[in-house]
Amino acid sequence: MANAKKSHALPEGGQWPDAIAFWAVLAGAVLTTIGFLMAFLYAGPVNGASVDGMPEMIGGQMVSSKLLLSQKIFYFHMPVAIVSFGALAFAGYYSVRFLMTKNQRYDTCAKVAMEISLIFVVCTMITGDLWTRFEWGVWWTWDPRLTTYLILMLIIIAYFVLRGFIDEPERRSIYSAVVSIIALVDVPICLMITRMIPSSIHPVVLREGGMTGDMGMTVGVCMIGMILLGFGMYRLRFRQVRLAQRVQALKDELEEN
Amino acid sequence: MSVVLKTPSTFQQYKTLLRKDLEQEFRTKEMITSMGIYALLVLVVFGAALGQTTQALDLLQVSGGLLWTLIVFTSLLGLNRSFNHEKEQGCLEGILLVPLDRSVIFLAKATSNILFLLAVEVITVPLFYFFFLTAVTPGESFWLLVLPLLVGTIGMAGIGTLLSTITVNTRGKDVMLAVLFVPIIFPLLFACASATTAIIVGAEGAMDVFYPALLLAAGYDVIMLLLSWVLYDFVISA
Amino acid sequence: MQAAITTKKLSKVFGTRKAVDNISLEVPQGAFLSIFGPNGAGKTTLLRMLSTLSRPTSGTAKLMGIDLKEDADKAREHIGLISHNSMLYPDLTAEQNLLLYAQLYGVQNPHERVMEMLEAVELKHRRLDVVRTFSRGMTQRLSIARALINDPDVVFLDEPYSGLDPHAVEIFDELIASQREGRTFVMVSHDLQKGFDMCTHALVLARGKEVAFGPKEEFEFGAFSLLYRETVGMGVS
Repeated sequence: MANAKKSHALPEGGQWPDAIAFWAVLAGAVLTTIGFLMAFLYAGPVNGASVDGMPEMIGGQMVSSKLLLSQKIFYFHMPVAIVSFGALAFAGYYSVRFLMTKNQRYDTCAKVAMEISLIFVVCTMITGDLWTRFEWGVWWTWDPRLTTYLILMLIIIAYFVLRGFIDEPERRSIYSAVVSIIALVDVPICLMITRMIPSSIHPVVLREGGMTGDMGMTVGVCMIGMILLGFGMYRLRFRQVRLAQRVQALKDELEEN
Repeated sequence: MSVVLKTPSTFQQYKTLLRKDLEQEFRTKEMITSMGIYALLVLVVFGAALGQTTQALDLLQVSGGLLWTLIVFTSLLGLNRSFNHEKEQGCLEGILLVPLDRSVIFLAKATSNILFLLAVEVITVPLFYFFFLTAVTPGESFWLLVLPLLVGTIGMAGIGTLLSTITVNTRGKDVMLAVLFVPIIFPLLFACASATTAIIVGAEGAMDVFYPALLLAAGYDVIMLLLSWVLYDFVISA
Repeated sequence: MQAAITTKKLSKVFGTRKAVDNISLEVPQGAFLSIFGPNGAGKTTLLRMLSTLSRPTSGTAKLMGIDLKEDADKAREHIGLISHNSMLYPDLTAEQNLLLYAQLYGVQNPHERVMEMLEAVELKHRRLDVVRTFSRGMTQRLSIARALINDPDVVFLDEPYSGLDPHAVEIFDELIASQREGRTFVMVSHDLQKGFDMCTHALVLARGKEVAFGPKEEFEFGAFSLLYRETVGMGVS
């Protein structure tokens, strides 16, 4: 049987955040739903325009009702995008911790954070692309933000492909930690470079700035909702992976004795 | 004879490792030939792809991008091979058994990759000019092309050396290197292609694009080389 | 006299998998230690840790009194490794290969040392030939020269016989015997009889744990091979 000295090396069976993980997901779901309703019912269209089927004049440009509605995607797009990068930042942080300690727990943390990041990046791409379609009238353009998120998505996919291609657990953890650190550094550089190089080919999109109070409120609600969702999903998935590791460890130990 | 060991300086070890790569290449000419022929074939493919382009302006605007396509694919081929020799007979372990700073291995390998890639570029860029740019008139400051080529090559070989050290230990290493390499060097590629296009087109205000792009590419090089240098110890010891 | 290798509770753990578990050894200088065990017993992992190729998770290991965790580079000067991989560049000549390693180690008068080693392994006449053209036996001989170029005090042998024909094995054994003077050897091999014949000390591992360790005199071959079979059987289940 496992004695007391050995069991400390076992992956833990659960920690206090697991208790609130489910509620975090639930609260996140409720908040994003509220945010969804607020986006259409509470927050006014840009610059107080009204949606009545007639084109409006904003900042010297004719803007159709369809555009005013499509602008609502923004309330989800921005929080999702921020959470996806936040998850990547956590993955990078845990990867650094892993390289410092070689503790498998951090590798699991980084991997799960990457999974969450991938989910949110895919959502970002979908919402962003819908918006692009209506706003700019094209399905795809090599706009700095779109490009950066495409690159981010490709690197995260590469991260998981890499994990699948290595058999030795320690080597897999080290290599994937290195790749996620590179990804974390590479992605902001990508945004910076694609944005700062002046280009004559891409249309420069100027938008009327500033958010009114009701818009800010809606974004805030969605933001908190998405963060809670991201956190809750992370914890639930982490617990699942960790428990699977624990079962494996217990099996090994039983077999040994 | 009693053997006396006097730990050589880091620079001497760097030279020894670099010389080893060059000696191997002089004997086999494997890297240069395979990369050179591959680059030539890509040029031929471009020829087919551009067969219907007649307008000079079109060609000028895409040629910067095409040149970088050529370089990315050629360097992928070279980087893939660069660690094959080290793995073939377990030589890398032999090197790791020597008391030397791990980053020396990175610096030596990155240098040899840069040199091979530059050697291939010296052959292929004139060929590229010959095939695609002689019919049109590139901008006056066309010769500045050397700068983005140099900056781009250094960055690609640097981060590529780290990535190929990783992928040489994985299954399906050729595919894996491409999957990691292309998205990670995307910013560098974007900056270099912008700079190159600006000077090839040579339009009014080309320098307003060229210098910022070049500067950003150089910034990418510095950050990524430092990062690779720091992370290399973990990768090579794994 | 100081021991060649001392380990205390040496372990290599990743996650919950213990590749090497609490190994404590003391190998005197001049000894020949053979490590036995089934596949996956942790022989190679132990060898890699002792030869500084892999860092221990916990415990200490000392080689010629140098702590491997604290000063791996110092310890590396005293280490030579011969494995089933030759660790030679196939596209360089025998001389270039040896010179490369001699210069990396910082051997004084590297050219003389290279000639001396080429003579010792009887390959001087082929020194300008590319290693790719060598037979397996010749490559392994050159590999010995490479491993001993820095005149190491401790030499590790990792399955050195794989791929060698009987004649090459004989030559290999003679060469090793001629280099035994003043050196400690540690060998991992599947060949039980051979490993037992050559050794002065034996270590049997199973699942990373020590099953038996001691000078050869403490074991009798019949009993030893029985013990070994039991261990292997244990590893298979």
